[in-house]
Amino acid sequence: MKLQTITASVFTMVLIACSPSAPPAAKEEAPAAIAPASGRDHIKIVGSSTLYPFATTVAENFGRTTSFKTPVVESTGSGGGLKLFCAGTGEQHPDITNASRRIKSSEVERCAENGISEIIEVKIGYDGIVLANSRKSPKMNITLQELFLALAKDILDAENTLKPNPYDKWSQINPDLPDIRIEVMGPPPTSGTRDAFVELAMEGGCKTFDWVKALKKTDKPAYKSLCHTIREDGAYIEAGENDNLLVQKLNANPKAFGIFGYSFLDQNFDSIQGSSINSVDAELENIADGSYPVSRSLYFYVKKAHIGQTPGIQEYITEFLSEKASGEEGYLVDRGLIPMHEDERGQWKEKVKNLAILSLE
Amino acid sequence: MPEHSLTSSAQLKARHGRETRFRWMGRIAILLSLGFLVFMFVAIGMRGSSAFSQTRILLQINFDEQILDPQAKRDPAQLALANYKPLITKALKQLFPEVTKRRDQRRLGRLLSNGAAFELADMAAKDPQLIGTTRDIWLTASADVDMLIKGKVDLGVEENLRRLKDTELSWIRKLQDNGHIKKKFNSAFFTKGDSREPEMSGIFGAMVGSFFSLLVCFVIAFPMGVLTAIYLEEFAKKSFITNIIEVNINNLAAVPSIVFGLLGLSIFLGVMNLPRSTPLVGGLVLALMTLPTIIIASRAALRSVPNTLREAALGLGASKVQTTFHHTVPAAMPGMLTGAVIGMAGALGETAPLLMIGMVAFIVDVPQGITDIATSLPVQIFLWADSPEKGFVERTSAAILVLLAFLIAMNLTAVILRKKFEKKW
Amino acid sequence: MKQSHDLTLRRSGRIAKIKEQTIIAGLVVCSMIAILVTIGIVASLAFEAFLFFQKVPISSFLFGLEWSPQTAIRADQVGASGKFGVLPLLSGTLLISTIAMVVATPLGLFSAIYLSQYAETRTRDWIKPMLELLTGIPTVVYGFFAALVVAPIIRNTGSGFGFDISSESALAAGLMMGIMLIPFISSLSDDVLSSVPKTLSDASLGLGATKAETITKVVIPAAIPGIAGSLLLAISRAIGETMIVVMAAGLSANLSLNPFDAVTTMTVQIVTLLTGDQEFDSAKTLAAFAIALLLFILTMGLNMIALKVFNKYRTIYA
Repeated sequence: MKLQTITASVFTMVLIACSPSAPPAAKEEAPAAIAPASGRDHIKIVGSSTLYPFATTVAENFGRTTSFKTPVVESTGSGGGLKLFCAGTGEQHPDITNASRRIKSSEVERCAENGISEIIEVKIGYDGIVLANSRKSPKMNITLQELFLALAKDILDAENTLKPNPYDKWSQINPDLPDIRIEVMGPPPTSGTRDAFVELAMEGGCKTFDWVKALKKTDKPAYKSLCHTIREDGAYIEAGENDNLLVQKLNANPKAFGIFGYSFLDQNFDSIQGSSINSVDAELENIADGSYPVSRSLYFYVKKAHIGQTPGIQEYITEFLSEKASGEEGYLVDRGLIPMHEDERGQWKEKVKNLAILSLE
Repeated sequence: MPEHSLTSSAQLKARHGRETRFRWMGRIAILLSLGFLVFMFVAIGMRGSSAFSQTRILLQINFDEQILDPQAKRDPAQLALANYKPLITKALKQLFPEVTKRRDQRRLGRLLSNGAAFELADMAAKDPQLIGTTRDIWLTASADVDMLIKGKVDLGVEENLRRLKDTELSWIRKLQDNGHIKKKFNSAFFTKGDSREPEMSGIFGAMVGSFFSLLVCFVIAFPMGVLTAIYLEEFAKKSFITNIIEVNINNLAAVPSIVFGLLGLSIFLGVMNLPRSTPLVGGLVLALMTLPTIIIASRAALRSVPNTLREAALGLGASKVQTTFHHTVPAAMPGMLTGAVIGMAGALGETAPLLMIGMVAFIVDVPQGITDIATSLPVQIFLWADSPEKGFVERTSAAILVLLAFLIAMNLTAVILRKKFEKKW
Repeated sequence: MKQSHDLTLRRSGRIAKIKEQTIIAGLVVCSMIAILVTIGIVASLAFEAFLFFQKVPISSFLFGLEWSPQTAIRADQVGASGKFGVLPLLSGTLLISTIAMVVATPLGLFSAIYLSQYAETRTRDWIKPMLELLTGIPTVVYGFFAALVVAPIIRNTGSGFGFDISSESALAAGLMMGIMLIPFISSLSDDVLSSVPKTLSDASLGLGATKAETITKVVIPAAIPGIAGSLLLAISRAIGETMIVVMAAGLSANLSLNPFDAVTTMTVQIVTLLTGDQEFDSAKTLAAFAIALLLFILTMGLNMIALKVFNKYRTIYA
């Protein structure tokens, strides 16, 4: 008897599910009903994995302390985020994208092509990119030039001709460096960390050669491809942006180095250490005052057209720039954000209040 | 003659030796496999079990009306949004009158979770009567304190490398001496959504996401799977088409799950424009994936129903359809359900296809329906494995334990279902 | 009166018949879904892969020795050469799968032999569900475990012996995948071994052979096709496995057969290409579909062969 009830109930379900033959057809109507534009009640955020911890923290606090829904944050990398961001306006496109570098003019153009001409830029603070290894190994002190020589795809030899990077070990570059294989795990090209690392560290080291400096004036593309191309022979391991697994992998392999944002170093200070670059330690103060050579600004970008469509965007920005979030004692500092100076934060607050539109000069 | 028997007995001995060795190889293989299972469970259990308790700090909180509700309206919605941080700061000042510097007071406040103020907000919103009273409340400690109390912080490292400095340690020791700090059962872990604070994060949101996905998956895959099985077993004549269907089903069973994710990405999201990151799409993808399992199990169940049953029904004048739906299918139902439960258990643990359709995001709110953005239990595990905060390591393991508990429960259900309704024809 | 009664009877009979035919038609439609899904998979993969092959020639995809999908995602970015040769991924996949099979085959087969030939029913009733539990564990759990526990153990043991093992070594991922496959192989082979007619082994035992001799000389040779089929299915599974390799194997596309090196697999690349940057037009995104198509063809092929072998085997002893 029991079986009969089971059968009966199962068959009602059969009828429900199978009557319009294919289930996708039945489901197709569902989203149509909720589709009409401006239908989203939560902010949608994509972008950099470096900002992910900050954005999620603000999102959570914002959701708790206001009557708005908690924004949904997806980590896609700075490049990927800007691409999604610039794909168009409307419910299915994100409202905000986080970037661990400034937006590029090519990206602004792309946005404009898709009808997004008004973008609001918000700077939230600074970040240093660290080259870190396990505390089980000695700390390294390296110059930008040495770093370039270790990681570039092609380098110059004595006669100033290009040749593939010959270095296997750090010590081959400079005998003072450790006598171990070059093994650096770092982010893929979609990542802003990678962009910033390439532009600040690689290019910075590359420029120290006079010949390269001259090249910059004569042949910019060649200069860029020389300075920006990272080697692909296994010494540089693209380890994805799951930076926490990266930290664990560094712990497991004391000979390897990792490249990531300062916040991950900050969270794991007891197990990993940042190398000094050009003899400057990777420390909060040095990054904030700019003496640490590989530091960058962090931004997020907002579609002006979405303000008023998706509820809470302005309030979210206000929360992000507030004293308790990105101020010098704010909760983001606990997460490893390097805060802007009081005055600078004030300026950005003012800019955002007036909904100043981004223009790249 | 004796010579011969001697060699043959030696030979016999060798043969028996081989026999024993062979048997032991089988035993060792099984022991190794099961030993590994145990090793993994123990290792994860040891890492994860500590997440089921949570360090809390006892504070005497004065729900000051002046701060929270100056107009004395007692409106729960307003109370939920008030600022409760000052209450905690005040309570700490009482407990540690000797800490006077502003910077130190701030550090003192960091012994508690960022979420502690929200806990107070929730309490006050639920019970506005609290306003104006003073209560003893156990508030969640910060992840750093939690890790310390759970013994996961190496105090041997230099002070300036530790997240907790010596002053903080002395404060914690004082709290410990007064009995103001305690590990309690971590119910928030089972009732909350994701959070940036390891100590405030829970798996409930992910569980609900998984539930909705499985619901969609079941509602689609089970009827379709059963009906397909019925057609193939009871009605279809051997033909070119049925042959193709059969080959297809067998092949689909072996298609890597990630390919189904790509199918979902390009068809459900790309062509049909279904909402990204939702249990609706997740469930659809999982349904296509589980379909072969359910079809194969249902066919086996139908095949095990003896022909005499069908013949009896047909002989009494029932039509083929009546025979099938009134007699054969009910008899095969336990087997079909068992197959469905096993299929669902597989779907519950599936991660890769969900990554493809964007069910990886930071989602705090618990999803309310199948079109809300959600994640799922295994994806939450994957996400937490990526978080920089140390506290998430134990959470990841604990979430794995919960997931495994669900899977074991589902598999047990399948076994019981099979045992209970199994008929020997 | 009688006539009209007859008529209604006939009419209700006709209605019933229509009803039944609708039901059967519904059944046919439902069973077509399986075909639809396959068509959907092939169509979506092939379509995107076709777009990809317009940007990257198919020959340089299939025979290229270098994989570095670092194309610029902006006009002014210097990506890298953007090489889309799938061979390093294929070799990585095969390396990890081979390690997995080296672990899983002996353990799985010996377990199956013990369970089907030696174990008493009571032990069998205990052990079988336990082994099945091992199959039921989600792969994300294996992945987490491989990355956090197994890989460091392997690394440390390796450096103890003076080997330099990458922390994302193929060995850790392969080992873990092998453990995942043990119950898969053992339960399939168990079925195969159990279905070898008892008359064969009885004859052998009756002639004085020991149990081990009977198994190695009679039962296994008789079951070889079935066992081969189950191993093929296991390989197909290993090739398509995603989470373990995503979490434990890393992204470096080395064309290497050294198990201590870090390699990457097809599935890992699909995940990385699609979770970072979900635009539908770049060569990077499309490459994921091309890899998936290759993966689909590979697993499908293995599966077809396995099924053929199984069927042949079944016809021998049916």
